Amino acid sequence: MLKNFSYVRATSVDEAVEQLRAAGARVHAGGTDLIGCLRDGVFDAERVVSIGAVKGLEGIREQSGGGLRIGALTRLSEVAASAVVTERYAALARAASEVGTPQLRNQGTLGGNICQHSRCAYYRGPFPCRRKGGASCFAEVGNNETHAIFGGGRCYMVHPSDTAPALMALNASVVVQGPRGTRTVPLDRFFVLPEVDPTRDTVLEQGELVTEVLLPPPGTGLRSSYRKVRARRSWDFALAGVALAVRKDAAGTVSEARVVFSGVAPAPWRSTATERVITGQRLTEDVAQRAAEAAVAEADPMPDNFYKVDLLRGIVAQELAALA
Amino acid sequence: MKRDEPHRYWVEEHELETPEPQQTPEPWDDTRVVGTRRPRVDAYERVSGSARYPSDVILPGMIFGAILRCPHPHARVRSVDVSAAQALPGVRAVISAFTPLSGALSAHEKLIRETLFPALCRYEGEDVAAVAADTPYIARDALRAIVVDYEPLPFVSDERDALAANAPPVRPDGNRVAAPAVYERGSVEAGFAEADAVVEGEYRTECEFHAPLEPHGCVAAWDGDSLTVHESTQGVFPVQNGLAAALGIPLSKVRVIGSYMGGGFGSKLSLGKYTTQAALLAKVSARPVKLFLTREETFLAAGNRPPANMRVKIGAKRDGTLTAIEYEATGTGGAFQAGGTSGLDFIVRDLYTCPNVHSELQDIFINAGPARAMRAPGHPQCAWAVEQTMDLLAGKLGMDPIELRLKNIPTVSQSRGDIPYTTTGLAECLRRGAEAFGWTAARARAKESTGPVRRGVGVAAGMWSSGGGGPPSTAIVKVFADGSVNLNLGASDLGTGTKTVMAMIVAEELWVDPDSIQIEHADTGTTQYASASGGSKTVPTESPAVRAAALEVKSQILALAAAQLGVEAATLELREGKVVTASGAPQEVRLAELRELRRAGVVVGVGYRGPNPQGKAVNPFAAHFCEVQVDTRSGEVEILRFLAVQDSGRVMNRTTYENQVRGGVVMGIGLGTTERRILDRGRTGLLVNRGWVDYRIPTALDVPPVLEVLPVDLHDKECNHTGAKGIGEPATIPTAPAIANAVFHATGVRITGSPITPAKVVDALTAQRRGD
Amino acid sequence: MSASEGGSRDGSSGLSRRGFLSSLGASAVTVALPVPLPAAPPPPQVVPPGEVTRVVLKINGRAYPVLVEPRWSLVHVLREVLGLTAAKEGCGRGECGACTVLADGEPRYACLTLAVEAEGMEITTLEGLMDGEELGPTQQAFADADGFQCGYCTPGQIMAAEGLLLTNPQPTPEQVRKALSGNLCRCGAYVNIFAAVERAAELRKGAGGDV
Repeated sequence: MLKNFSYVRATSVDEAVEQLRAAGARVHAGGTDLIGCLRDGVFDAERVVSIGAVKGLEGIREQSGGGLRIGALTRLSEVAASAVVTERYAALARAASEVGTPQLRNQGTLGGNICQHSRCAYYRGPFPCRRKGGASCFAEVGNNETHAIFGGGRCYMVHPSDTAPALMALNASVVVQGPRGTRTVPLDRFFVLPEVDPTRDTVLEQGELVTEVLLPPPGTGLRSSYRKVRARRSWDFALAGVALAVRKDAAGTVSEARVVFSGVAPAPWRSTATERVITGQRLTEDVAQRAAEAAVAEADPMPDNFYKVDLLRGIVAQELAALA
Repeated sequence: MKRDEPHRYWVEEHELETPEPQQTPEPWDDTRVVGTRRPRVDAYERVSGSARYPSDVILPGMIFGAILRCPHPHARVRSVDVSAAQALPGVRAVISAFTPLSGALSAHEKLIRETLFPALCRYEGEDVAAVAADTPYIARDALRAIVVDYEPLPFVSDERDALAANAPPVRPDGNRVAAPAVYERGSVEAGFAEADAVVEGEYRTECEFHAPLEPHGCVAAWDGDSLTVHESTQGVFPVQNGLAAALGIPLSKVRVIGSYMGGGFGSKLSLGKYTTQAALLAKVSARPVKLFLTREETFLAAGNRPPANMRVKIGAKRDGTLTAIEYEATGTGGAFQAGGTSGLDFIVRDLYTCPNVHSELQDIFINAGPARAMRAPGHPQCAWAVEQTMDLLAGKLGMDPIELRLKNIPTVSQSRGDIPYTTTGLAECLRRGAEAFGWTAARARAKESTGPVRRGVGVAAGMWSSGGGGPPSTAIVKVFADGSVNLNLGASDLGTGTKTVMAMIVAEELWVDPDSIQIEHADTGTTQYASASGGSKTVPTESPAVRAAALEVKSQILALAAAQLGVEAATLELREGKVVTASGAPQEVRLAELRELRRAGVVVGVGYRGPNPQGKAVNPFAAHFCEVQVDTRSGEVEILRFLAVQDSGRVMNRTTYENQVRGGVVMGIGLGTTERRILDRGRTGLLVNRGWVDYRIPTALDVPPVLEVLPVDLHDKECNHTGAKGIGEPATIPTAPAIANAVFHATGVRITGSPITPAKVVDALTAQRRGD
Repeated sequence: MSASEGGSRDGSSGLSRRGFLSSLGASAVTVALPVPLPAAPPPPQVVPPGEVTRVVLKINGRAYPVLVEPRWSLVHVLREVLGLTAAKEGCGRGECGACTVLADGEPRYACLTLAVEAEGMEITTLEGLMDGEELGPTQQAFADADGFQCGYCTPGQIMAAEGLLLTNPQPTPEQVRKALSGNLCRCGAYVNIFAAVERAAELRKGAGGDV
């Protein structure tokens, strides 16, 4: 059960920013992540600042040149059902449709999905882990079947978002508004790895919130996809997943590629090694296999998650072959 | 649990009996209502929202209880300071073993200090204090305000480590609950010596949670010295018994009302501490108290299916005749003697004919929450090991897995002195199932699948060591002056359709509309004694008593009519609200026109459950078939179709029967593919997966779209006079190994440890590629 | 089912906001004080911890003024304050679906919804599907198809089905499975539930499709 907090329902972004400046203030968008965290005491909120009533943060809008601006409060179900998203950014529509459950997609927002907290069971449970400011990572010596094979170290959580890897593959940015104004942050630079600070998920400062997601124009020949593997076919986070965005020329040669993994690292994990193998190549089976090997070459599995290396290799090859 | 009766896990302190029935009616031949498809008599209530579950109960002045639980797997409570909690506005009662016990609590000192809140906590989740407050939120605030000084103690959280010499003792005498329980017949040495093929393997099933959707709990209210409890329970009478004993008050002062309840699966068979605490909190606060556990608490403290570690070795002749089965298994009921190995070898003893069997079970203490009986205790675990081993054996012998099983069908219960089964439907389940499933063709077709996505087809068999039911049961059927009918029985309807089936039986005998029957059930204040609904015994136990009551009231009605009509009662029959002559000159009279019935206002028939047949075993059998698709890149297993073939005797209501069987299969899919309790094997021993995101029970997308149910009814006229055997538990026993066998068929890798996750499949396939 | 007042999912209202948002370009400067929009309500009041605040919840077509603490969930208010007990609580954190209600016609978890956040939404609970004492078609279909066992998850299952059929009156079997995949049924009645949803689609078609 939730502890007491003060509550304010902001009517504008500026008001929300103002209310969020205080230490201990937490933003409430869809509430799907926040309420669970508060209920389980993962962290406390002195103040909950609701942005649900803020006008203008919802909706999918065209940008000149064919890109999209997606308001941070746009619900995941709307992203998944959007014809324009499906047509231009298939990876995002697919990723949004694979989040949680229909109810969670109706309630959860795109901004919230990107900013959600770790689902590591130790983090969510009564374990004073490093991400909560404690002295150690419990997964390191405990049960680590679902944990990171890339980018771990001080914390081995895996980033729970499906949409963030898809957006990163699609070279998206987020618009962040805060006490010092507005800035645009490419998703590539949005997440904070444990080696930098294990208690932070993103570069957001206190008082800042994501207001929009910007998708660059797809241009010609862009194909994208998202594949998620999980232990349960609904209501589950990725054991491993791969978001691909590949641009091919008329001859079928890959001119540009972005490959991002979910479920294997504390942040959506971009694999430039995989990108290098396929760029300038046609996606033959051989290239797909070599790319899949490159994808896992740097993996550093833990005792319980060696399978993630093989699994990831398998689905990278599968997804690249599907885009051939 | 008595070692020689592994099937009677619901048995209470004493063997109970009901009087011998006045008459034992002949079994039915043809039925008019029984066996048909029918929506439930309480369907309206369940879909309209008007069904009142215990957690829905709202009483005037009601407040909310909550329990503080030990956050360590093993710790001594040095002190509990509740002063800050008591000072919170809205807090009305706080109880712990370390606070002064005055007023209403002083009479319960021993109960509170020793039983409800023990100073030595042997598992994470042991009760430390309880509060009641104006809202559930304030109750949780109060729990957070309680200051406890714990002395953490060394712990062991895995039964595989608990017998090591240096393992911390959970109990003073060590971590063996008792010496290994040995079962032996014949000589396995001799049996293996004459075998042409021997296969052996080690298997494990993980600890599962019951996870009923309605958490455990109650609303407790006092009226003077009378206590009324609305409890989510499988058995109101065991709860009444437990509460009266705990509180030291007469049974007549404790009324337990069950009514609707949101699932139990064995975890709500008896009294939990939470209910006693709610009663005390209600006493102290002089308010009704609603106390339901959180989901996390149900995982920690409201029972589980124990994990099982099994080694099985089977020998057979070239023609498939089994010559020996050797089996060793360990399990744990947590920190308690709680049936850690209950029923864990029955499949070994009785499923197949085999002259030489050796089995050893070792129950082990660990620092974890107590087990509670979960849907067919021990059987799905044992079937996981034995039925995969049978699959291996078939492969080694070059036999079809179904042929191998058919070669070894039992006709007698070998572990119960070779007494014959009233019916053994196993062969029919296998044969008819193979035909309905298209087994041979499907097996051949699956082998044609190439590429990264492979298909496989598997089968497994099972039986349930109980399922015959038995005394005690008393039921009452009343006929009112207008001919309408009331049925009164003590049993709970867990959602299995008990009320509907019993109404159909009354309707069968009295020729009334089942939906018109008023039903009272599961209320110790108004209904007759019944044991808890569980053990797949509710229908075989209650249905003969209900039928006897209906026949008893019928004979009284016919006697009244005979007197009024001036004919012999034997010439009369009941038909659609009338008494009509079945022979002789045609006459009829409407029940509402029976003068003596109107004068009496009501005629009451009492029915009892008679004993089961002497020298016979009554057991249900099953065979499950499934086809899977395995993505060898990702390890994902998709169950494409499933067929459950069940011999549970007479089908009482085809609709609820099929539904319940499907439910058993879905639970088996959970055991087989998704469910596993994780206790931190690192530093803490604490529960890691504390909610339904990390403890995965199957969702709508995890069950096959095609889940067929095929009943096999061998017209068992001996088991009891309704011909029904139990169905709830046998429906879940062979599911998981059927899936495992199908995955093996698809991939050539055998997953010996449940659940079959993508992780395990990928690891096994990698090992296979490397030739490990 | 009427749309929410704040309804904002249609393209037109999205367009009207484009100007507002695009004025906050990447280089927008900090605004020190909130600037209320002309039609906006007065600046929000901060509800202190532990204090109650008055909200008006629209449930099954009626307005319920209630005093709630900010931390109270919608399912708590429905069940324990208003006595609308059809929605069940199985987990309290969006992991089971027993509390599913419709918010502006869409399935949502009432346990993950603060009651204060529900103000302005049109909430429909299972009770709201009834016509007096008559079952609505989706409810009737669940009864006919035996789409439940213990019945505790059933109100949530029915609301999820209702939400699906409101937007997709003739769903494919795969759409049904996916739409129901946010509601656990431990009794395992899923296959019957799928049949119930198919039957509900038929019954609603017979009833004119608009219920």
